[in-house]
Amino acid sequence: MNKKPTRALAEPFKIKMVEPLRITTEAYRQEALARASYNPFLLTSNDVFIDLLTDSGTGAMSDRQWAGMMVGDESYAGARSWQHLEKVVKQLTGMAHILPTHQGRAAERILYGILGGKNKIFLSNTHFDTTRANIEFTGATAIDLMPEASLDPELELPFKGNIDLKKLEDAIRQHKPENIAAVIMTVTNNSAGGQPVSMENLQQVRKICDANNLLLVIDGCRIAENSYFIKHREKGYENKTYEDIAREMLSLGDVFVMSAKKDGMVNMGGLLCLRDDALSLKCTNLLIISEGFTTYGGLSGRDMEALAIGLTEVFDPDYLHYRIRSTAYLGERLKAKGVPVVWPIGGHAVYVDAKKLYKQIPVEEFPGQALVCDLYVKGGIRCVEVGSVMFGKYDEQGKLIPAENELVRLAIPRRVYTQSHIDYVLDTFDDILELQGKKHGLRIIYEPPALRHFTARFEQIHN
Amino acid sequence: MKMVELLKMTTRHQRIKFIREAGYNTFLLRSEDVYIDLLTDSGTNAMSDQQWSAFMRGDEAYAGSKSYYRLEEAIQKYYGYKYIIPTHQGRGAENILSQILIKKGDIVPGNMYFTTTRLHQELAGGSFHDIIIDEAHDPNNEFPFKGNVDLNKLDALVKKYGAKKIPYVSIATNVNMAGGQPISLKNLKELRAYTRKHGIRIIHDMTRVAENAFFIQQREAGYERKNIKTIVKEICSLTDGATMSAKKDALVNIGGFMATNDWDVFEEARNRVVIYEGLHTYGGLAGRDMEAIAIGIEESLSDAHQHARVGQVEYLGHKMESFGIPIVKPIGGHGIFVDAKAFLPHLRQDEFPAQALAAEIFIDSGVRTMERGVVSAGRKQNGENYYPKLELVRFTMPRRVYTQAHMDVVAESAAAVFEKRNKIKGLKMVYEPKYLRFFQARFEPLKK
Repeated sequence: MNKKPTRALAEPFKIKMVEPLRITTEAYRQEALARASYNPFLLTSNDVFIDLLTDSGTGAMSDRQWAGMMVGDESYAGARSWQHLEKVVKQLTGMAHILPTHQGRAAERILYGILGGKNKIFLSNTHFDTTRANIEFTGATAIDLMPEASLDPELELPFKGNIDLKKLEDAIRQHKPENIAAVIMTVTNNSAGGQPVSMENLQQVRKICDANNLLLVIDGCRIAENSYFIKHREKGYENKTYEDIAREMLSLGDVFVMSAKKDGMVNMGGLLCLRDDALSLKCTNLLIISEGFTTYGGLSGRDMEALAIGLTEVFDPDYLHYRIRSTAYLGERLKAKGVPVVWPIGGHAVYVDAKKLYKQIPVEEFPGQALVCDLYVKGGIRCVEVGSVMFGKYDEQGKLIPAENELVRLAIPRRVYTQSHIDYVLDTFDDILELQGKKHGLRIIYEPPALRHFTARFEQIHN
Repeated sequence: MKMVELLKMTTRHQRIKFIREAGYNTFLLRSEDVYIDLLTDSGTNAMSDQQWSAFMRGDEAYAGSKSYYRLEEAIQKYYGYKYIIPTHQGRGAENILSQILIKKGDIVPGNMYFTTTRLHQELAGGSFHDIIIDEAHDPNNEFPFKGNVDLNKLDALVKKYGAKKIPYVSIATNVNMAGGQPISLKNLKELRAYTRKHGIRIIHDMTRVAENAFFIQQREAGYERKNIKTIVKEICSLTDGATMSAKKDALVNIGGFMATNDWDVFEEARNRVVIYEGLHTYGGLAGRDMEAIAIGIEESLSDAHQHARVGQVEYLGHKMESFGIPIVKPIGGHGIFVDAKAFLPHLRQDEFPAQALAAEIFIDSGVRTMERGVVSAGRKQNGENYYPKLELVRFTMPRRVYTQAHMDVVAESAAAVFEKRNKIKGLKMVYEPKYLRFFQARFEPLKK
């Protein structure tokens, strides 16, 4: 089949404010990484050239959002900026109760603090790291229910973020509906490679929840990106707008939690939206104790203003097309170079399969973390391991129970880097492919009891 | 002024409707319906052009942001604490610190309660015990340091429960609920000597430490010639750790932090902050917010700034006094506290005199104030109402926002309401939330 040569994918915006970057040498970065105990979370941002650690809160705001920052109303109670945000979010979610939080994990902590507790079970396509931590912190259990096929990083499926409906029904039967606190659908499914969930899957989950009288929570920090995939991959949605698709998804949920630092296009903010009056009242009580009064929830007025504007900008078709295609650009070219990546490419990040690329390093020595370290030393690129450092556990003998996959996530901040920056990342992978035997595993020398990937310290293993 | 924000003027008729819709609770008014907003000095400050320009260079990197290091440096330099954890606001820091230090059944003595602080102590399993001097509870007593601790009250707690049951003494500078009243350095030094002997920490609720330092400079022997910067550093040096809502002294609209000199506490806090707030190098704040705090801390320690700040509060207070309005004395640092019991002697405390007065002032002029009395005090763990000695309406001054002419409007409105005080009716509570009820409670006027 003859394909027309692809044309350059130019951004549907231009640069209005720049932030200078510092170029460092490989020798300097070797030292900086050793000082950071081989954990890039502990590097200072000053020592990083291209920061692909996360797409959370790292995006560039538009001039309209900056203008909104200027009209932010900083009144403690009943601020205009709150009314603006509430209106936008009510229109999007159709939910009656909108609670602002300083970021997504605060919304999760409030909600799961109320729903969770000892002997409670949460079922999800995949719980994200902070979600799992919040749930387990209450004494509850979090169970991921991915279809077997989706666990294969190479298999091309349109909706690899879906939950396995049969597993879901079995789990409900096994644990009994009365013990299940909620079903959580993460869209897109971050830990599974930023893969989308189909509308059909979500509709089925809704039916199962109805049949068993279960609460359905949509964790939708990347709901606009998920809408893009539905429009382009699912029958019947070709002619709907992205916003309509998002509204339809949200209409299927009872609760919506969102870290606005992703598709909200802001640097700080989160949302907890609910239909149920009684549950909302409980959440509001906790919100005031730990976050802030109901009309600011721990955000400044200007942050709420920027979020209200960001939530409308994110559904712009040109933006979403650019966003998804520019992520795919990195992924497709890595694949062409022979770098094993999770396929198909998701919305916000490219996930490299470190188990394959660093196959000489056993999982006990964290091949993903080793690749993360090499990318920093070779290119000043910062990214994150999504494997046994993040999700590994220990058995009773203290032996590592590895994660399902050993991935490295290259997350793309929104509207920050140009194609030249991405080309530079691709070039750095050439250096990685040439490393061959010069790769070193790592051992943990310090780890905290929860969410260890943020603050753990490592040393390199030299054989 | 370098930037202004337009205000809307309303009629008395409109304001009667607005306050009724808000359930006679000023917290539930919409800000656009308010003319002069003296609800709180928390997060309502005007930032300087220096802060706005720093805002622009905020580094939004998730981990190891340059802005975090600037904040850390400012806190270490000006306050002297070794380790810091940013949080989205003060209550985020209180939550983490209470969880780390307080065990079930512990006793937390302090110089008067504050709403969110006490609640976090209780949720962590502790119980708060007030050890402030008796003078603090008397609105007419002009003692210069009504934030002082009564060491005999502390000693009685230590004797009754044992020092092991007391994880720390909670010291606020200035004491908000006492009317913005300072603690003296002499008292703090005595407290330090006592707690050192018994191995008890001092945790510093430092949200208005610069205002406290200003009063020390003005009132305490030996400090007349010292600048605020030096006094603040000395206060902090007498404590072991701190929580701060940066939304007050530090001249920003959002932000807070926890600080400690104790590595173990820091390490535990670092593990917890990531669950509740965010990674320890941003703690739930945007990079730009950390920049603005770093600069705001420095600006707050200028003698000229505090002079103007506290001077404006005093201007309003003296003007009210000249109209015969009963206010808490001496005048505090961040607001004027009107004595609602003396203002409305015909109302019983369970008819919520301060709440009724705040509603009446809004109706008169569109000035929004806050109740600090029986509604704010909430209920005891056994369900009974706390009946605080002080039943106050707080006129809180946002920093660098309102002019002297605005202050004149406020004082004249208070005087107009004072003229017809006999006609003001009490309220009954028709909706009461479980925690921190003052935020959301709804009221109706009593018929009689």
